[in-house]
Amino acid sequence: MKSFETPIERRGADLAGKKEKTLHRRLSRQTRENIFGYLFISPWIIGFLGLTLGPLLFSLFASFTDYNITSRMNFIGLDNFKRMFTIDDLFKTSLWNTLYYVLFSVPLTTAGAIFLSVLLNQKVKGMKFFRTLYYLPAILSGVAVYFLWMQLLSPSTGLVNTFLAWFGIEGPAWLFDPEWTKPALLLMKMWSVGGGMLLYLASLQGVSNSLYEAADLDGAGVMQKFIYITLPMISPIIFFDVLTSTIGSFQIFQEAYVMTENGSGGPGNSLLFYNLHMWNNAFEVFDMGYASAMAWLLFIVVMILTIINMKIGKKWVHYEGGDDK
Amino acid sequence: MRSAAAPKFYETKKFKDKVKQAIVFIVLLAGSVLVISPLWWMISTSLKSPAEIAQYPPTFMPKEFHFSNYVDAWKTAPFTRWAMNTFFIAFCGMAGSVIVNSLVAYAFAKIRFKGRNALFIVVLSTMLIPGFVTMVPQYILFSKLGWVNTYLPLIVPAFLGSAFFIFLLRQFMMTIPNELIEAAVLDGANHIQIWWHIMLPLTKPALITVAIFSFNGAWNDLLGPLLYLNDESLYTLQIGLQTFKGTVQTQWHYLMAMSVMVLLPVVLLFFFFQKHFIEGSNIATGTKG
Amino acid sequence: MKKGLLFIISAFLLMGTLAGCSGESAQAEKTKDGKVVVDFWSFWGSETRRPIIEKIIDDFNRSQDEVFVKHTYLPWGDIWTKNLASVAAGNPADVIINDINSVGQRAENGQSEDLSKYIDDSFKDQFYPHLWETVMYEDKAYAVPFNTDTRLLFYNKDAFKEAGIDPEKPPATWTELEEYAEKLDVKNGDRYERVGFYPLWGSIGAASWMTSADGGKGFIQDGKLYINTPKKQEALQWLLGWKERLGEKTVQSFEAEFGSEQSNPFIAGKVAMWVDIGTFYTQIRDYGNDMNFGVAPIPAYEEGSGNWSDGGGFVAEIPKGAKHPEEAMKFIEYLTGPEAQKYWAMKNYDNVANKEAAEAVVKELKGDDQYVYEATVKNLDQTQLFPVPTQYPDYQNRINPHIDNVLLGKTKPEKALEKAEEDVKKLKKN
Repeated sequence: MKSFETPIERRGADLAGKKEKTLHRRLSRQTRENIFGYLFISPWIIGFLGLTLGPLLFSLFASFTDYNITSRMNFIGLDNFKRMFTIDDLFKTSLWNTLYYVLFSVPLTTAGAIFLSVLLNQKVKGMKFFRTLYYLPAILSGVAVYFLWMQLLSPSTGLVNTFLAWFGIEGPAWLFDPEWTKPALLLMKMWSVGGGMLLYLASLQGVSNSLYEAADLDGAGVMQKFIYITLPMISPIIFFDVLTSTIGSFQIFQEAYVMTENGSGGPGNSLLFYNLHMWNNAFEVFDMGYASAMAWLLFIVVMILTIINMKIGKKWVHYEGGDDK
Repeated sequence: MRSAAAPKFYETKKFKDKVKQAIVFIVLLAGSVLVISPLWWMISTSLKSPAEIAQYPPTFMPKEFHFSNYVDAWKTAPFTRWAMNTFFIAFCGMAGSVIVNSLVAYAFAKIRFKGRNALFIVVLSTMLIPGFVTMVPQYILFSKLGWVNTYLPLIVPAFLGSAFFIFLLRQFMMTIPNELIEAAVLDGANHIQIWWHIMLPLTKPALITVAIFSFNGAWNDLLGPLLYLNDESLYTLQIGLQTFKGTVQTQWHYLMAMSVMVLLPVVLLFFFFQKHFIEGSNIATGTKG
Repeated sequence: MKKGLLFIISAFLLMGTLAGCSGESAQAEKTKDGKVVVDFWSFWGSETRRPIIEKIIDDFNRSQDEVFVKHTYLPWGDIWTKNLASVAAGNPADVIINDINSVGQRAENGQSEDLSKYIDDSFKDQFYPHLWETVMYEDKAYAVPFNTDTRLLFYNKDAFKEAGIDPEKPPATWTELEEYAEKLDVKNGDRYERVGFYPLWGSIGAASWMTSADGGKGFIQDGKLYINTPKKQEALQWLLGWKERLGEKTVQSFEAEFGSEQSNPFIAGKVAMWVDIGTFYTQIRDYGNDMNFGVAPIPAYEEGSGNWSDGGGFVAEIPKGAKHPEEAMKFIEYLTGPEAQKYWAMKNYDNVANKEAAEAVVKELKGDDQYVYEATVKNLDQTQLFPVPTQYPDYQNRINPHIDNVLLGKTKPEKALEKAEEDVKKLKKN
């Protein structure tokens, strides 16, 4: 890396010396930073205090009650939390299904999106068209997509299994076999990596060509350039993508809700995800207290994961702008 | 490396680039078949007659092209009005998202204010609670504010920042060299000027991404409009799409025709925006000036 | 460029403000000429259904001096989420169409108004008793039945003739059903060209067959559990037998093939006998190319054990906290009265809750229309509804996975039902 130092980096080194002086010269700087900082984030603070915090605290409180949304809210202590681990067997099922999904979907979609964005960042004829095309699945949503995939994944005549048959592979029954329902959903998810692709594509625009040119002079191959230049340069976005898609995968709901006829959970409950179980409790059984308790338990789990992620992130995420933590 | 002899044509960089481009092109083309097949199914269904849709086995190409499905579907309800409503909401949401989130993100990325890291964790934590748990209290809140049956609950939150976009833009802004900002500070610029003159131009690809995502999100939102709007004249396209789904029978030809039409504006928007991706300033070129 | 951007931003901000103002027309309580506005929410928004309900509303509005009904369409499913939120916020609709099997559950949770003060015996007697039962919670009525459905066996008469079966003698018992099905199967090597019958296709599930075997006794009746009974175990074993006969692959590929609900395997001639609700007939009529078909009650477990069918439907209900309950009730009375019900049934080919209306429709229809409709009306006698038991609201989600496991060959019926009963018991609410 050292060998292709850019003009920015050199200039950065020069400026680093000046930085200290600036801070000393203006003692009021910290105050100014505070004022501007809070001024800039004030819209978020207003929104948080005004619109988000209240409902959040309400749901936190509700998790210790038997709240039924419309008429009842008695304090029952930790009963809801106890119920998850003692009485409610579906809780475990839903947690297991969700973990399975998170474990596979996050790495797969991240890798898929990076791969696609690198391809779509080449100078090739018709690139505008390709980019639009690959983003399309990210726009499509709802029932149409579901029925579409039902057909594509049809065991005997679906496109996917027909394709597999060319290679002599007998495709599974996908949505009808509890062992294969989650992979089917993963496949669907992979189809719509266009959203993630867009993020990486935007990030790749920030990678200076001079870095690649310098690498070319050093005789670096495609893979080397990818590993030593591209990946570090887009690592802030990889970090973002991994973190948000972990959070998103834990909250997978819509796909499963639509694909299992209003949330029944699919064959053998193999698609009963955490949030689906939560939804059923909240809006089918009207046990919002229990649903809130589930939500907050997940909150704690994902929060811990996020913090771990951020700690590890400091080691591998490369901020070109200079880390100032 | 045979540096002495003149390189053969297949060893030249130009040729290698051409081969590379050809490979990329072929891979992308093959992939696009996978991506497009579901869309083909959508379009072909949208052009069939109901009788043909009900046929077994399903036909790949419509036997007759019923382009009138598009007009007829549009006429079944006040779709023109609903399209305008949707456009308005999505447009406002997009504007709000781009401006406000970039402001907030700038502060989290580049202003060293007290409590920044702790507050950033709070920002992230708001993503961790699924919306439907807070949906009812939020509805009650908006209803107490008298905002039910207006577009305010759909637009105002976009002007108050979203954790996802703040986080996203912060990541992009972190990659902008601090030196640029330091230099501007030395020149006497304040943060608002830096944000406007340096940050926004330099993060253009990211801002476009946020614009596309937020427009897309508002455009496809079903639950929000449905929850907060009571007057059918205020409805959006996504609610309109639901009218084709029957409890007994679904009007597939209309549903698909309308889905294609609903899809189009987002596709056009994307197509229009993505060309700015390439034009969007590269940080390296930005610093050269 | 920058000036342009600034301009766009300020334009947006301005528009945002304007939007806030223009949309700010809180629900009007009264029309201009002083009539009370009754907010009515339904999920009937399709091109076919909307004109029908709006004609009924128009007729009602014309007959009223003091009440004006305003109809709002909300999508299926989400309509009830919105109802819940608006009841919690205290600004619900005045009348809403809701699911018939969960009336008691909503009453228990304080989501709907008690209507008993508006209702007398003569009003109540207009409706089929099995429907009326479901709207009662602790001896009070919380809704008025609107429509319902019932399941029939549709069979392909041409296929019957081809297989040498008398097309006027549909199967009456499970044994006959099996015999017929085997005769009706058409195989090409290993592949099925036509499947005679498969009990879990169409608008029927494992629970219905298990109930039918058990003499019409559901999983939970009068607060008692009847999940793990010998007859239900037997029925589950019987269902597994069907699956083994056809083979997992055949079943799955048929389900996937027709899962998109665009084409129907019965109408396509791929399945010879099919259980579905009465309105399924309209699909045969519209897309069946003059298919020669017949209908019969669902075969009984054994002779005389009853041709049980389960039913569903919708009710009109006043959400808790509605502003104009009295005016709302006036509209509900009209909506469920003979005139509106007859119009609805004629136009939608739907089974309605009002007895007088249903009988009038049978008389008025002609040909196949009448033949099927009459069969559905007769079938209501053997139709049962299974309201969500308030003590075990989530019982179905607990039982279904165990049934799935049996059908997937993972557990034996006895074991699965024993486990299912245990799971449901654990959930009991007091």
